[in-house]
Amino acid sequence: MNANRADASSRDGSRAIAHVAWHSLLWLVVGNSIGVMLAVLLLAPALNRWLGEWTYGRWMIVHMNLALYGWASLPMLAFLFKVYGADRGPAAAWCRPVLWAWSASLAVASLTWLSGESSGKLFLDWSGYARIAFPLAMLALWLLLAASFVRTRKGADHAAWFARGAKLLGLAILLAVPLAIYVASGPNGYPPVNPDTGGPTGASQLESSLFVVAILLMLPFGLTRRKSVRPWAVGASWVVLAAEAVLCIALGRADVSHHRPAQFLGLGSLLIWLPLTPAYYAAFEWRANTRRWRNAFLWWWAALLVSGWILFLPGVLDHFKFTDGLVGHSFTAMAGFLSALLIFVMVQLLGDDGWIFTRTWSFHAWNWSVLAYVVIMMVAGWLEGSEPAFTISLGAARNVLYILRLATGVIMLAASLEWLVDASVLLREREPVPARAAQEKTA
Amino acid sequence: MWTGRLRNSGWQGASLVAITYIYFLIFAQFAFLGRLAALGIAGTNLKAVMAAMAAGGILLSLLTPRISLWSSPLLRLRLGLSMSSAAAFLALLPLSISVAIAVALLIGAGLGLLTVTLVTHLGQWCGEKNQLLKVGLGTGIGYLLCNIPAFFAASPQVQAVAAGLLCLAGIGITPRAIEVKPNSRSTDRPAALPFSFIVACFAALVWLDSAAFFIIQHTASLKAGTWQGTAHLWTNGALHLCAALGSAWLLRRRALSFVLSLAFFVLACACLLLLDPARILPASVLYPIGVSLYSVALVAYPSLISPAASIAQRGRQAGWLYAIAGWVASALGIGMGQNLGHVPPAFVAAAGAIVLLPWLLKICRMRTREIGLVAVVLLAAFLIQRIHVALHAGDPLSQVERGRRVYISEGCIHCHSQYVRPDTKDVLMWGPVESIEDLRRERPPLIGNRRQGPDLAEVGGRRSPLWLKMHFFDPAEVSGASIMPSYAFLFRDGRGNDLVEYLESLRGPGTQQHVTEEEQWRPSAAALAGVDAADGERLFRRDCATCHSSDGHTRAIWQASFKRLPPDLSAGPFFYLPPAEMPELRFERLAQITRFGIPGTDMAGHEYLTGKQTASIALWLLRNMPQAHPSQKQSIP
Repeated sequence: MNANRADASSRDGSRAIAHVAWHSLLWLVVGNSIGVMLAVLLLAPALNRWLGEWTYGRWMIVHMNLALYGWASLPMLAFLFKVYGADRGPAAAWCRPVLWAWSASLAVASLTWLSGESSGKLFLDWSGYARIAFPLAMLALWLLLAASFVRTRKGADHAAWFARGAKLLGLAILLAVPLAIYVASGPNGYPPVNPDTGGPTGASQLESSLFVVAILLMLPFGLTRRKSVRPWAVGASWVVLAAEAVLCIALGRADVSHHRPAQFLGLGSLLIWLPLTPAYYAAFEWRANTRRWRNAFLWWWAALLVSGWILFLPGVLDHFKFTDGLVGHSFTAMAGFLSALLIFVMVQLLGDDGWIFTRTWSFHAWNWSVLAYVVIMMVAGWLEGSEPAFTISLGAARNVLYILRLATGVIMLAASLEWLVDASVLLREREPVPARAAQEKTA
Repeated sequence: MWTGRLRNSGWQGASLVAITYIYFLIFAQFAFLGRLAALGIAGTNLKAVMAAMAAGGILLSLLTPRISLWSSPLLRLRLGLSMSSAAAFLALLPLSISVAIAVALLIGAGLGLLTVTLVTHLGQWCGEKNQLLKVGLGTGIGYLLCNIPAFFAASPQVQAVAAGLLCLAGIGITPRAIEVKPNSRSTDRPAALPFSFIVACFAALVWLDSAAFFIIQHTASLKAGTWQGTAHLWTNGALHLCAALGSAWLLRRRALSFVLSLAFFVLACACLLLLDPARILPASVLYPIGVSLYSVALVAYPSLISPAASIAQRGRQAGWLYAIAGWVASALGIGMGQNLGHVPPAFVAAAGAIVLLPWLLKICRMRTREIGLVAVVLLAAFLIQRIHVALHAGDPLSQVERGRRVYISEGCIHCHSQYVRPDTKDVLMWGPVESIEDLRRERPPLIGNRRQGPDLAEVGGRRSPLWLKMHFFDPAEVSGASIMPSYAFLFRDGRGNDLVEYLESLRGPGTQQHVTEEEQWRPSAAALAGVDAADGERLFRRDCATCHSSDGHTRAIWQASFKRLPPDLSAGPFFYLPPAEMPELRFERLAQITRFGIPGTDMAGHEYLTGKQTASIALWLLRNMPQAHPSQKQSIP
């Protein structure tokens, strides 16, 4: 009887995670399709007249926000479902409704962006109706997690109490997120500005990077167990993070130039994560089928750390600011590092069902296309840095580079489509038997 | 044996479907109306004629399955074709209004009798295999032939004769005998949906189609983008044929509701795109696809898919379907097009609610929790938003503030930065530099992170309102190889002028100092070393001729709006240049003007050109401008 219950619980969990994967991939495919359309428009501006009022600028908002709040955010829901046990037991029935609420708010937000609603803040583009609907969808997630937390009270040892304390702290932080999104999207408040470029300062980049590092360090605890090897790496990593947090506070939040040594040296402190992150992840047990994407995310992380620091150096940033070079760098972060990390997390959570992400063709297609994209954009950025009109008006060299970029975008779209199709197959396989029978009968 | 096999191939059924569609599309919808227009029948008289056609159609659609007179299907089919043919030939005569009404009645009655009889027994004329495909083929070929340019553009008389002859040919190809079976159905997947619902779905689709058709037909710009020109017509024909075959395939593979939903989705997109004439191209692609998708189903449902228990029931269903969905909904659609001139989005939504009802019900039944939570979240957001708006209703915005909103709404930030980096090339191109304190006063600052176009932090000092407006209308024309899309739509209401006002406000206190720095600029030695007059001419044609040649496009369109008409550089006058006797000074000034424009005028700079390109233009101008001009003055009037 217990075995049956465990099987049912495992099926529930697998189904909830599979649903998350499907929703994430849906937004990835939609976002990629828009990206390809935008790349075509840059090559053939005459096509803009097809779009009427839904112009390039409005689609850019949709493209960026779907990538960030759809593809890049939804997999973290799978992680939270798992950590708080929402994917098992009675709460599991509410995982899909929460996903629907999230996706519905994104769909409605997309319509509002296309209708001309925008906050004017990059990556915090929540305005009007969507500025309320999206935080409410996040609140629905929080309620599910809180209910699951209250329901699961087991274990009385120190480890269990520590885990419950950490989860409670997590709930408190998560509760603040919807409000933070709402407030930060408002017109008031703007992060420190580097007066020489108009971009972020070294300190503010260090701050946001440390949030990413904190998430990276936290993830394994919700995904797997520690191994007995390399225990030093775990402790050392947390100590380094704390030290860097102190450094970040010491650097302050003033509008300071990247020419100040304290700024680029402070940001350079992130390079310590080049050896530390792989060592940290090696201290945990991972499923065998995660190896490919785990390695990919660690390579992209290393590339991001190094290129991010080099691009911030005096002289280099002055050359690349406002150019395609920095678009390439953002792509390293989003399509390279973050995508590989998210897929790695989903494969770990899906277990044997992780096959949807581990096909050789799509793995190589995605990663090599991202790399090619980054290289192309760096070349374009270099040329643009020397001659600002390089991308402003149509020209042969610019067009060749943009055609190559379009080709990489199409390949990435094809890879993401394959994942989405496989996720749909998986979902169908994971559908409870009575529901499937009912569907077939209706058909 | 061979003739038996040919008879069983179903070509007769496909041909009859094609003939019926051609007659309806090219004669009843086009040629007859053309004849009426030529005869001067318009206004109320035209409405009376069209009402007679609809009345004849409705009457015979409903009566055909109910009366027992001449009950042989073959006889009825031939009678329907004969009536239709006769009506087509009668339309060639000089009709008075009363005769036109009688002919219209005959057209409607003939079509009513023909269509209901044809679909009631079509299963027996479509061969034994792939009956749906025959229906798709017949429909697709019918539409394709109507779109053959020579046929489509022929005179109404020629079209009427062709339609009449086709009907006579139809009589010739009808089988000599018919084997009356109790019932036959080609699909093993009967439609489980109620008949009344099917009628409502088709009515919604026909309504959308007719409204869109009328709007396109009576709007010159839309018509030009859809039905005029050989390429358009061949494309339409090909789309119709492909969509018709696709519809048949989908009807075989998927349920009827899937095809109707797909047809709705495509037609709805076309109707919504038609709201904006700028989007006629995608609308012209979607419209024929949507029409053919449902047109095949409109024939296939009563003839092959309907789970009718008897021939009589099949006939009655066909009668109701064509009377309500075919004639009534079509008239209502035309009325909508006539009175509103567009298909309201709310109507599209209502039509969608009908056609998509099975899917919506299924989702509601299977996903109660999901829909409930989504509804709660979206509804709560709606209420909170309303309260928020009510509580924070402030003073009305100034024009500059409204323009800033437009700048944000249009996502300008994704291509244009507003930050001039100190001590870089930015300063001379797009300066002067703004202080961080000034920047932080903006709510929010619009620095941006990418330049696909120039920096706009100080654009008000570089561009006149007229130049900005001209550029928004047609960026590629005004700004050479600009990749920016047109924003002419912003000027349909006040948004465009608001945006121009906002951009004009973007200028800091350092503008005058910056102008001085621009005047000190000279092409570098490297630029002068590579100067090329031929390239200068090419660049002049691309970037300058639109305003500075006598036949320039921008000059012609906006000539009444310029503060002073831009000089034709092949003639003059040249108010801002040193005398021709000082060629070196003249060259430098030409280069400065080319690069930075003339402050306080509509002449904008071309800051994005390289020094070499600027010098090349200046050199070419210097060599080709007249050395003196009768009206040349050294001082600016």
